[in-house]
Amino acid sequence: MSSYVLMKILESSPERYDRGIRMLNGGKVDAVYEAIADIAARPGGRVLDIGCGTGNVSIACAQRGAEVTGVDIDAGMLEVARSKPPPPIGSVEFVQAAAAELEDHFAPESFDSVVSCLALSEMSPDERSYALRAAHRLLRPDGRLVIADEVLPAGRFRRLAHRLARFPSVTITWLLTQTTTRAVPDPVELVMAAGYQHVEMAERFGRTLMMVSARRPPGPGGSNA
Amino acid sequence: MRDLLLRLFPHRHPTGLVEIGAPGRESPVIVTGNYTLTVRRMKRALRGRDVHLLVADSGGINVWCAAGGGHFTHHDVVSVIRTSGISDLVDHRRVMLPQLGATGIERRYVADKTGWDPHWGPAHLEDLPHVLDRAGRVPVADRKVRFGLRDRAEMITVWALPMALIGGGIGLAFGGPAQAAAVALTMVAITCAVFALVGRVPLSGPGRFVTLGVVASVAVGGAWVAMEAVTTTFSSRDAVLLGVAATATAGLLAVDLPGTTPWYPSAMAKDAFTVELLSESCTGAADCVTVCPRGVLRMNGVIRKVEIVDPDSCIQCGACIVQCPENALRFRRADGRVVEPETIRTTRLNLLGSRTIEVSH
Ligand SMILES: C[S@@+](CC[C@H](N)C(=O)[O-])C[C@H]1O[C@@H](n2cnc3c(N)ncnc32)[C@H](O)[C@@H]1O
Ligand code: SF4
Repeated sequence: MSSYVLMKILESSPERYDRGIRMLNGGKVDAVYEAIADIAARPGGRVLDIGCGTGNVSIACAQRGAEVTGVDIDAGMLEVARSKPPPPIGSVEFVQAAAAELEDHFAPESFDSVVSCLALSEMSPDERSYALRAAHRLLRPDGRLVIADEVLPAGRFRRLAHRLARFPSVTITWLLTQTTTRAVPDPVELVMAAGYQHVEMAERFGRTLMMVSARRPPGPGGSNA
Repeated sequence: MRDLLLRLFPHRHPTGLVEIGAPGRESPVIVTGNYTLTVRRMKRALRGRDVHLLVADSGGINVWCAAGGGHFTHHDVVSVIRTSGISDLVDHRRVMLPQLGATGIERRYVADKTGWDPHWGPAHLEDLPHVLDRAGRVPVADRKVRFGLRDRAEMITVWALPMALIGGGIGLAFGGPAQAAAVALTMVAITCAVFALVGRVPLSGPGRFVTLGVVASVAVGGAWVAMEAVTTTFSSRDAVLLGVAATATAGLLAVDLPGTTPWYPSAMAKDAFTVELLSESCTGAADCVTVCPRGVLRMNGVIRKVEIVDPDSCIQCGACIVQCPENALRFRRADGRVVEPETIRTTRLNLLGSRTIEVSH
């Protein structure tokens, strides 16, 4: 069963994810987790973390007293998430599901905030918009969406320069931890297309990480069809 | 060449709908993983046909390894069916799943969540045209894994190069260029012979030492003769060198040779499992028969129950157990303890081929 040994060694490794993600972003990523939690979490608030991975954002939200549900498709990632010590306040629960299965697990309007960090970029464009629309229905009216992801600089030339500049660190990180990240073409556009309001780029972290915040329109049954 | 490079490294094809030919509202819908090499082979195999191909996220890994390692599951299949918009493009609801994904993809879960009617395809995608001609029915022979010439050649290239380098290095360190060449060639010869023999002579269990011993001796003999021919003086140091190289190669290959083939359970898995069928629970659904890659199980039409007909071929993949709706199949460990079906469904193989990774359900 362990056919094709090489492939197994090279495949992505949840245990090494936390180390890899820090190497790639020079430690910046912790600031992103905190920034997301600062706007998405408050004591008693219900937070959904889509593509929670090893649970970093979920735990940051719980540390602010929120009741968090982290969802990820990868069992290995969740195993690492569950092995972390539970925060002293708030609560975290992890569920294995695809972003396209959110509505099988949760009722409409059952969250105050939905967050997603570095996960939309791992999905296909179809999955991305499907997930954002589902999240819209799961948010209470006026509820908040916060996403953070990698973006590529505008312009062909700058993009190329950016890729070249990052090539050494990306290669080393992948060799050591088999962790890498991808980029979302245009997060603001993406979120607006899914029917959210007050879409704004909340913060940038260096040149490539950006955080977008938005709200589900107030009023019951706000539709995003 | 391009295919070989792709074979060596996991590489992700974009997920979602890929149209092959000009598929219409009645054309078949087939799911596969997003290992780029698989998608390329799929397109080649289906050239001239009209098919909706749904590329699901298997982490850029081939279907078998991805499903066994927990990277390709029913969640990925549900996701691609829902988000690709395929439901609006066809009038039927039949979807073919890759048979070798059956260790990770629960067919009934996909049916429940999507309302589609999933059925298993053949083990090898080269058989797809043949299966499509039979309206999606998979002949028994097409369910068995093969380790064909091409797979053998690929495994040889994967193993021979490092072996040659190691051998060449040792040869250089303890002799000269002639010794280096001889040792490297010996190691390559052993590697070729071993992968040519997989499935034909015992290469797992105690028998593998005999086989490897014979292969190594023949290779050393050959190298000896060759060295006698090129170098006039053949020292006893050279003989020792060759012997050591042969033993090392055989040893390295023996570590997990079975695990690199689809023919044997990994030698590194700590427990030997035996598959067990609780006949009284069997309702003859026969899902297990359609997923077993080794022809271990057969439907007995007279008693309308499944039977284990070839237990020795079982590679302990667990596919049959994962799919059984009645939990009528399970593993028993060598020490007599039972491994419940739910444990098989919620644990995945780790790097060494043991079941350790817990999966929530
Ligand atoms: C780069 S990690 C980010 C993890 C975490 N949010 C963080 O920032 O550290 C991306 C995660 O998204 C998950 N993911 C990718 N596609 C998904 C999908 N379709 N549904 C749910 N999770 C998905 C992956 O399993 C992975 O754990
Ligand atoms: S009988 Fe053995 S080889 Fe066949 S599916 Fe079951 S576990 Fe796999």
